This record gives sequence, structure tokens and C-alpha cells, in this order.
Amino acid sequence: MKPWLRYSICILLGLAGGAAYAVHQVRSGDLGRQVTNGPWSTNTDNGTADASALSRARVSLFGLLALPAKEAMYFNAHNDSDGAPLSGNCTYIVSGGELEARWWSITLYEGEGWLVKNEANRWSVGGNAPERDAQGNWSFTVSPERAEGLWLPTGQAPKFDLTLRAYHPKGALLNDPANAKLPTIKKERCA
Amino acid sequence: MTRNWLLPILAGLAVAAVAWHGTLLATPYVLMSAAMKKISSANGNGRANVFGFGEMATADRQPIVRPSPDLVYSSCVFNLSQGPVLVDVAPVPGKYWSVSIFDARTDVAAVRSDRDTGGKPARLALVRKGQVAPKGYDVVQLDHDKGIALMRILLSDPAEYAEVDAIRRKSTCQAVSAK
Repeated sequence: MKPWLRYSICILLGLAGGAAYAVHQVRSGDLGRQVTNGPWSTNTDNGTADASALSRARVSLFGLLALPAKEAMYFNAHNDSDGAPLSGNCTYIVSGGELEARWWSITLYEGEGWLVKNEANRWSVGGNAPERDAQGNWSFTVSPERAEGLWLPTGQAPKFDLTLRAYHPKGALLNDPANAKLPTIKKERCA
Repeated sequence: MTRNWLLPILAGLAVAAVAWHGTLLATPYVLMSAAMKKISSANGNGRANVFGFGEMATADRQPIVRPSPDLVYSSCVFNLSQGPVLVDVAPVPGKYWSVSIFDARTDVAAVRSDRDTGGKPARLALVRKGQVAPKGYDVVQLDHDKGIALMRILLSDPAEYAEVDAIRRKSTCQAVSAK
């Protein structure tokens, strides 16, 4: 084989392989996992010049136009609190206490981050929605079937993820998100 | 045989590393460019420097990945090639609102929320180096001509939409030359 042919083959394979690996790395991630806390993970450098090329590419795919952490933090969960992937045919109880933020919400997505069609036309639970007990704790149900109390439907999505948005975060949530108190996601049963 | 392939394989590995990094660097520009095209065509025949006042996101209406169904989004694709662009945001009393400026690489050049302005209007002049902004504006210098100004307003109840919609339509995004 001629040398130029050997070079051509290797360079073409290198081009294709390098680009394909980058696409795979970007697609197989999510919004970012620089910090993890129970089932939740988040980035602390969204939208900043400090973000790595991979982090910036992932955020542009899974959360284009995300705000920087001082303005809003985005915590993403693909698994429940026991580490099992969130499944659309299971019922979960999401519960927590007050979060150190001006306002928060939890939204259910499928795929790269798309709202899921459902009979209730409900895609998120805002921080003002759940009732609080005397200690300020709250909970709601995530399930395919209508549930009693506050219900966030999984629709027909086989797999889903939850995004917790915290606007104007402060205290530990902003400064030490790995150890801040975040909601738990407990699986009750599966259909 | 092996020696014949050694240098071509090393060259291939070097090219792979460059292609890998190049793809990562290009991804934000490509996705941002697609978003700008989509937003400016929704805002009026591909025009830049005008706010589009989108309706609230639902499962059937998702102009951008991972939309929040609790926020009212308004967006302006800006283009500084002909001069500065002014973004004037009307405050929405008692609500969280913010305007954020994203450049073509997806980096955030500026954010102003009601917390920053103390409930007053946000007035930003988007400029390239060397361009002069009118007085009375916070100057935001960008490294790219194009980008997106995105306004977010939080609704705690969907019934507030009509009232908030009327207020946000007072906000403007326009080239200085158009004023």
C-alpha cells in the first residue's frame, strides 16, 4: 500500500473518530455533574467563560440559555434517592423542606429536556404549590396515574428526569450545593 | 509492516484529538445559531433586534430545550454589526423577572433582575468594542455580533398571564439607528 493511502486512511478515521467521540460525550451527559448531592447534580459555571468546552457543549444541548448560578441553579435528577433510574411507570414521592432560594420549582422532562404530554396539562410543581406541615415540610407524587394530593404526571414517557430550579439561591444552596438540603425522591411502587 | 503504519497512526491520533476538541468547541455555536434562527423567524421573518413575546411553554409548544412552564419568556436575537442595540425592560411589580444577554458562544455577558434594579427598568446597551452607547444605559460589551437577549418573568399562577403579558410588551429591543 502506498504511504499516502495509509496516511489518508488514518487521518480520515481520526477525523471521524474524534468528532464521533465528542458527540457521544456530549449526548451521553446531562446538564452537568460538577457537584452531586443525593440524586441531584448541578454545574456551578453555567454561562461563564470558565466553563470547559465539554461542559459548555452539554449545557447548550440540554439547557441552552441557562442562567449563571448566582441568578439561578439547576439541579437535575435522572435517578431516585436509592440510585435507580427514574421510570415513567413507577410512582415516586418527592419531599423536602424549605429551600434557600427566593423561589423554586421542579419540572419533569423526557429526552434532552422536553415537557411530556399528559392529561392534567401539568409539567411542574412550583414552590408555592405543596401544602406545608407544621415543620414546613412538603411532598408531592410523581406517577403515570392520577394521584391524591399534588400530582406531577409522567404521561407516557418511559424514562424521565426532574429539574429543580432555584432562583436567587443563597446560603448553602449557592455556596455549598454538595451539602445543601435538597428534596428526596422515593420510589413507592411500579406498575 | 508495523513500521509502515506507525507514523500514519500517530498522525491519525493527532487528527482525532483536534477533531474531538474542535467538535466540542463548535457545538455551542452550532446550537446557538440554530436557536437564533428559530427565534428570529418566530419573531418576524428572520428579523433581528426586536423582542418576540412567546406564549407560555406547554408540551405542544417548546421553542427551546428544557423550557420552564412557570416562566413567561420573551426573546430578542440581536445583531451588533450595524451598531449598538438597546434593551429596555419594563419592570413587573412584585414578580421575579430578569433579562440575560447570551453571546454566540452561549456565555452570559450580563444579567439584570428585579433584585439588581430595585424594581426599576433595566436599560442595557449592547456594544462591540469601539461602539459608543447612548447615555443612561448600562454598557454590555460583547465579543460577538450576534446573540440572544432573554427576558424571564415568573408567574405563580397562570391566571396572571394577561396582566404580565401587557406589561412585558412595553419592553423593547432595538438598534440605536432605529430609535
